Amino acid sequence: MLPAPFTSDFLNRLEVLRLRTRKNVLGNHPGAYSSPRRGTSLEFADYRKYSPGDDLRYLDWGIFARTDRLYVRLFHEEVDLFAYIFIDASGSMAFPSREEKFVPASNLALALSYVVLANHDHVRLHSLKDDNATASPFYRGRQRMRDLIRFFSSVTPGGSLEPAPCLGHHLKHIRRPGKAILISDFLAPAAAYQQGLNVLRAFNLDISVLQVLSRQEIEPALPRGELGLIDSESREELRLQWSASLSREYREKLERHNRELKSFCHQSGIHYSLYVTDEDLSQFVLKTLPATGLFR
Amino acid sequence: MEFLNPAALYALALLPLLLVPYLIRRRPRRVPFSSVFLLREFAPRPTARPWGNLHLPPIFFLQLLLLALLLSALGEPSLSFRPVNIALVLDNSASMQAMEGDKSRFQHVQDEADKIIGALPPHARADLYLLAPRLTRLAEEPLTPGAAIARLSALKPLDLAEPAIDYGAELERLVRERSYDRLHLFTDHPSEGQSETVRVVSVGRPQGNLAITSFQVSRRSWAAPELEARLSIRNFSATDGKFKLVIKGFGKALASRAYTVPAGKDAEASFENLPVHAYYEAEIDAGDGLALDNRRFAVPPPQSGLKILAVSPHPEALASLRAIPGVELQVVSPQAYEKESFEPHALEIFHYSAPAALPESHALFILPPQQNPLVEIGAASSRPIVSGWREPHPLTRYINFALFRPAYARPLKPGSFGEAIIQIPDGPLAVAVERKNFRYLALGFDPFPFLGQQNLPVSIFTLNVLEWFHHARAGDTGTTGEPLATKFRAGEIVLAPDGEKIAPEKNSGLLSRTYAQGIYRSTAGGAEKFFAVNFSDEKEPDLRRPSAIQLRGKPGAATGRAFYASIWPYLLLAALALLLLEWFLNPASTRKQPATEPVKQSDDFRWA
Repeated sequence: MLPAPFTSDFLNRLEVLRLRTRKNVLGNHPGAYSSPRRGTSLEFADYRKYSPGDDLRYLDWGIFARTDRLYVRLFHEEVDLFAYIFIDASGSMAFPSREEKFVPASNLALALSYVVLANHDHVRLHSLKDDNATASPFYRGRQRMRDLIRFFSSVTPGGSLEPAPCLGHHLKHIRRPGKAILISDFLAPAAAYQQGLNVLRAFNLDISVLQVLSRQEIEPALPRGELGLIDSESREELRLQWSASLSREYREKLERHNRELKSFCHQSGIHYSLYVTDEDLSQFVLKTLPATGLFR
Repeated sequence: MEFLNPAALYALALLPLLLVPYLIRRRPRRVPFSSVFLLREFAPRPTARPWGNLHLPPIFFLQLLLLALLLSALGEPSLSFRPVNIALVLDNSASMQAMEGDKSRFQHVQDEADKIIGALPPHARADLYLLAPRLTRLAEEPLTPGAAIARLSALKPLDLAEPAIDYGAELERLVRERSYDRLHLFTDHPSEGQSETVRVVSVGRPQGNLAITSFQVSRRSWAAPELEARLSIRNFSATDGKFKLVIKGFGKALASRAYTVPAGKDAEASFENLPVHAYYEAEIDAGDGLALDNRRFAVPPPQSGLKILAVSPHPEALASLRAIPGVELQVVSPQAYEKESFEPHALEIFHYSAPAALPESHALFILPPQQNPLVEIGAASSRPIVSGWREPHPLTRYINFALFRPAYARPLKPGSFGEAIIQIPDGPLAVAVERKNFRYLALGFDPFPFLGQQNLPVSIFTLNVLEWFHHARAGDTGTTGEPLATKFRAGEIVLAPDGEKIAPEKNSGLLSRTYAQGIYRSTAGGAEKFFAVNFSDEKEPDLRRPSAIQLRGKPGAATGRAFYASIWPYLLLAALALLLLEWFLNPASTRKQPATEPVKQSDDFRWA
């Protein structure tokens, strides 16, 4: 059974979406995404001197008439897409609870996956955590949604996450450039997530970043007074005097942090969107993401 | 400002306890959070202190002030005015000689009194009082502060016990009668209760002490020439006392011995075959706080033998006493006794007779007539059976009372003082009385003539009686503060132990100013006579737990003048106001902060 947000209406509307890529991709089969290779699509790419054996259908007779030389027209190849969805499965994704953060993040990943599967493209899920990083096989076709759900069901968020090493570990097994979608709360020092995104960039992937935050993280409803905040990943205890002013300063600092992340993504050619888990998933996927350019 | 109950101010030491709830509260509630890296810069710097950074809210200082006010109110603060008419009562008893560091307690008291007098305004007047031998005012007129300090510096403690009076009542009476603004009692006793006018300045701390409680030099029997010394030493401390006891004769060491007295116990010591000296001194090298009771003096009995003056209408019966060795007997008729005066005897026996008043010597009354100063006489009975007797008692030693059957007896009825020694069913048969250092014995039967072995029970009793009287005259030894048991002639001068020459009282011939312990000497007719006077009190040497002085002053009762204005009610009101303020600022309903929602950690990933 599909999760609650996935109504038939929502699924129907997802089917008309298609992921947008900014780079050429290398697919196995003909598809809707441009490849660096020359192929048989309708989109003209270049001319090449005729060689014996070339298909005469691609000879440009107009050039031959003007120059008395034989050239053949070359077209872009359009291939299917290999999408890699990386989902943060560290302890912070279970705050304030798994249902309030990791499950919405998973639903978001499922929605994106469904878009990929509905277009007969390939999708592979990667869970990111330091001690137990797992990845699914490539799935293709709507009927593989059940496998995707099973994969998410098997993931239990917990532990810490160092993005760069963990992503590097996953990328060792990726052979085809494609679309990488990283879903995380990015509640880590800038240097840490920037290293991780740079690792993705080095693999020539078209990267999209979806930051997922719960309302509790944006506007913490903590009791006033002295608190010992336990970090959900490192279990480090931070003692501080929680007050309205500190709450305000925290929100400002979080906004600065998010702006810094967005700015880095912008400079690096990475698509960025922020999803707050108490928002409606369908609204975010169908309105926000197309508006920000993730879908076409 | 003064505190009427200053002991309550010790409770101020409890103020830091107010921090405890804050230290407990300081343990923060542990709340899970996704990531704390954004908050790290807001955390206080870790400190080396184990309790970390203590955040004290303003309400803490309000509570601190509230608690301080309440505790101060317990001390009953009062506004006081400078007194101009004060009395200083100094405890000059023997225990004030105890050393506290390099000064005696009395010197500490003098220092304290100096401070109080020094703080008086120039026009103030001070009266000085001493407690021993009785509560006495030193000067007829009130003294100026300067004169009071001068008189104070010349005072010394006496070798006397303090009088057994109700200090609280006595001092309040003094304040009332003399209208003192304030009365200061300087003593080594603590005080209980409070008074608006009477202030007790206590000096000294509890300390252990060893004391010679008795020292007697006597002959083993009235016929024996050898002298023996008996001593008792008491340990007034919580640890065993070790000391060396030295017996000196006329200043020359005669014998010494080491002893150990268990804590709180007595030790007995005896030295036999002492050579004859004019006086003896016993000393222990205890090195404790009070040196006074480490020495004691004794004078040996004047001579061996027992000189008896017998007054009897039947002298032949008494003549049998001459058969006893060492007894010198002089028998006179009652008429002759009344007419003539006789030289002092060790014992006077009134046989079927009695003087008009109790003689000032040891005396034995045998079947006295009805008009006698000692006992009443009952109806006669023959061969009574003894139904009871005091035991142990020197008079009843070695007697088989089953065989003790006097042929004729009349029961006695003692007065308000007197102790029945032997009893028959009709009443006492022998009554012993001790008054003014003299022993008196009244018998309701006639033990004479002395028949020796022919009537053993009665003969043994007779010898016990003579022995009992003999031991009563162990030298001329007295107690400080009491008159010497000798009448001095007019113009005779007695040299006190401190070298002061004291004249006996003209009327009585008695010497009462025996305020110093030691040997008193008198020279009468070229012969030097010695009197041993010892400090003797059961409570004074015990420096551990002096009894508390009870003050029961009533506010405003001492004088009509409002000398103190109590401000503690205002403190209580202020505390109440602070309490309300604290309640308003920090109401109970908001003190309990809402608990954080527990973080749901469901491991099930269920699709709705």
